[in-house]
Amino acid sequence: MLVHIDGPWSPLLGRLALSEIPYNNPILVGTFVFAALLAVILVGLVTYLGLWRTIWRDWLTSVDHKKIGIMYILIGLVMLFRGFMDAVMMRAQQAMADGPHSAGYMDSPHGYLTPYHFDQIYTAHGTIMILFAATPLLVGIMNILVPLQIGARDMAYPYLNAVSLWLTAAGAALVMASLFIGDFAHAGWFGIVPVMELPYSPGVGVDYWMWAFQLSSIGTTLGGINLLATIVKMRAPGMTWGRLPIFTWASLSANLISLSTFPVLSVALALLALDRYLGTHFYTAGLGGNLMLYNDLFWIWGHPEVYFVILPAFGMISEIIPTFSEKPLFGYLGMVLASLGIAGVSWGVWLHHFFTMAASPAVNAFFSITTMAVGIPTGVKVFNWAFTMFRGRLRFELPMMWASAALFYLLVGGLTGMMNAFTTNDYMVHNSVFVVAHFHMMLLLIVYAIFGGVNYWFPKVFGFRLEQRFGKIFFWLFTAGTAVVFIPMFTLGFMGMTRRLAYVAFPQWRPLLDIEVVGIVIYLLSAVFLVAQLYVSFRDRAQNRAGLDAWETSRSLEWMTHSPVPFYNFAVTPEVHARDERAWRVEHGVDTVRPERYEDIHMPRNTAIPLWLGALSFGLAFGLVWRMWWLTEVCGLAIFALIVIRSFDRDTDYTIPAADIERMERAIRDVPSGRPVVAGVRGAVPAFRQGV
Amino acid sequence: MTHTTDNAWEHPEVQLAGGGYIVAFVVGLALMGLSLWMVRGHVFAPTGLAVAISALAAVAAFVQCVLLLHMTVSRTQVWQTVALVLFIPLFVITIGLTSWMFHGLYRRTMMMPATHVARPATPTRPRGA
Repeated sequence: MLVHIDGPWSPLLGRLALSEIPYNNPILVGTFVFAALLAVILVGLVTYLGLWRTIWRDWLTSVDHKKIGIMYILIGLVMLFRGFMDAVMMRAQQAMADGPHSAGYMDSPHGYLTPYHFDQIYTAHGTIMILFAATPLLVGIMNILVPLQIGARDMAYPYLNAVSLWLTAAGAALVMASLFIGDFAHAGWFGIVPVMELPYSPGVGVDYWMWAFQLSSIGTTLGGINLLATIVKMRAPGMTWGRLPIFTWASLSANLISLSTFPVLSVALALLALDRYLGTHFYTAGLGGNLMLYNDLFWIWGHPEVYFVILPAFGMISEIIPTFSEKPLFGYLGMVLASLGIAGVSWGVWLHHFFTMAASPAVNAFFSITTMAVGIPTGVKVFNWAFTMFRGRLRFELPMMWASAALFYLLVGGLTGMMNAFTTNDYMVHNSVFVVAHFHMMLLLIVYAIFGGVNYWFPKVFGFRLEQRFGKIFFWLFTAGTAVVFIPMFTLGFMGMTRRLAYVAFPQWRPLLDIEVVGIVIYLLSAVFLVAQLYVSFRDRAQNRAGLDAWETSRSLEWMTHSPVPFYNFAVTPEVHARDERAWRVEHGVDTVRPERYEDIHMPRNTAIPLWLGALSFGLAFGLVWRMWWLTEVCGLAIFALIVIRSFDRDTDYTIPAADIERMERAIRDVPSGRPVVAGVRGAVPAFRQGV
Repeated sequence: MTHTTDNAWEHPEVQLAGGGYIVAFVVGLALMGLSLWMVRGHVFAPTGLAVAISALAAVAAFVQCVLLLHMTVSRTQVWQTVALVLFIPLFVITIGLTSWMFHGLYRRTMMMPATHVARPATPTRPRGA
């Protein structure tokens, strides 16, 4: 039944042995020491401050959508740092390993990384940045905001929400474990077929990649179901589809994509698992298998996935720009249709990832046209943002800086994307670093939107604004780093440099590669200022307390509750009267009205079961990776048993009496609203109607 | 949080089910077993086999739609039916365009001798044995 693998295997440890621990690799030992020190410091600090009980009760076992969102964002930030360090290593390697006379260090013929190690690094970089950084960051933001924007108490399925979080965490933990136990895949983040098949990758790397991917895929599918159900069923009274905040529309379109495509990824990876474990031949070259089947299935998920990550980013930009233009969003209906249009078109473009893989000219032409068609709804969005800013009272505070800079990335990334959409062009630049630079522009657009969104909604979640001076230095250094890394990368792409080179054969490319290193150093420097910004913000949090509406000109429902948001979100479920409810209430002078009476609130109860499910999924996947069958069986059975036991639990919810709500509400002292004065203009009442 | 009931028996899906779930499970198992037997035994020529197992798959899909998903236009169940209707374009796009791509691809790249394709998989030894 099972495929035979050469090499040692024991019933207790499976393929795991002491020789699988890379204690002789100085880079990994250094990383391990760093990670271990960090862990010791964190554990020590938490113990010293006596926070274990708080962390367990208020965070790890929480089903509160805001806390789950924050934990998603923390996972995303940690993985963003890991992925960034991979990028630093790749830049350093390519600059060092240029030309036949370049020196080699640490058993490497050129540079300091052996090709096998370098291959693992770019695979890890891609996998981490897309699945364990961008996706958790955006899912976290959607988790926090969507229930607030539609006036709900929590997600439709709070328990399922926690399960999704811990499955994603298990996947991220698996990627991290591969650093110190065994190795990671070397077959590219999307799995270069047939390299990721067992005969070509007999190690555990591909298994790590495959199961981490699978866990995150299942977690995101469940999260998608949850967000869709929340948006469809949990809207406050009066919140018709025409009044839905634009970020919620973007989340709706994004999760339509995730619900319909992540299952395809799960199937594609499950078939690969059958190939690698049971010896089937879905993706082999012979015996009835087909390499292209994998490419096809993977990218049926893979391309919609990039729209899954970009739509929430567009949604955030669409919320930030009106607030700092002090105007309603231009073309709401167009924006909604464009979001749904992008979600729809996303299904019909995946084949442009293999234009050069022998599809017939008619097929390529079809997918070329559909790919260009993506530009239409995206263009609609850009014009809507531009018209929103047109004749607005623009305030370039940090969120607005990130959001407006994101538009430049959309321009560069979009236009180079159009270039790639032409099959003829694609034949020239396929597999070159031009393509790499193109999709980094698009992903940086997402990063910019995320930083904008984090700066924008931070006061809503934590009750104080982020500091702006260090924040602006971070912004400018990050932007400079981007330019200095990616302009040479576009140039190298045109000069013919291919992707994934552990050794660069042309010394004449050296200057441009060196400039890229300068850029990555600027990025590193910018990260210092990000840390400084966070530290100063936290230190001065008392001065930076924010009121209900931190920016004074915000428009949507989430700005009507306290900052930080109480665990029950809204004391009384709000009645929605207009598309921009907060702006409507400010204009009608009812934004500070307190409710006359309170009602009981029905809330979900915390549970540790999702955390256990995540931990057991990690054990299950770890057992599968190392072929420790006892561990797999124990964890699998325990997961099944826990799900059954949980289904008999009747004590999953509780009610907060109205009197308690009233007491808690009276205890909250909101910072009074002080309308900001910018350039002599008092940013007073946000314009509600158009044409102001 | 809108809340109806903790009692699973009161959900409309459960009340509608009756013995349907068991029947659907048994029928589904039988149909899969039948198609597996047909493929393993090569009971028809390749084209006939493809047609036969496609027909069985259609029957299985129908059984699942009716007995498991209760796709009717009644007020409680119409959303299931709507979900299926929305799924049809996705099905047409992915399966249709994929077939179109492979149709051209096979003629270009996958010219294999028939014996190569038909040869059974090499037997594998169990792990740890």
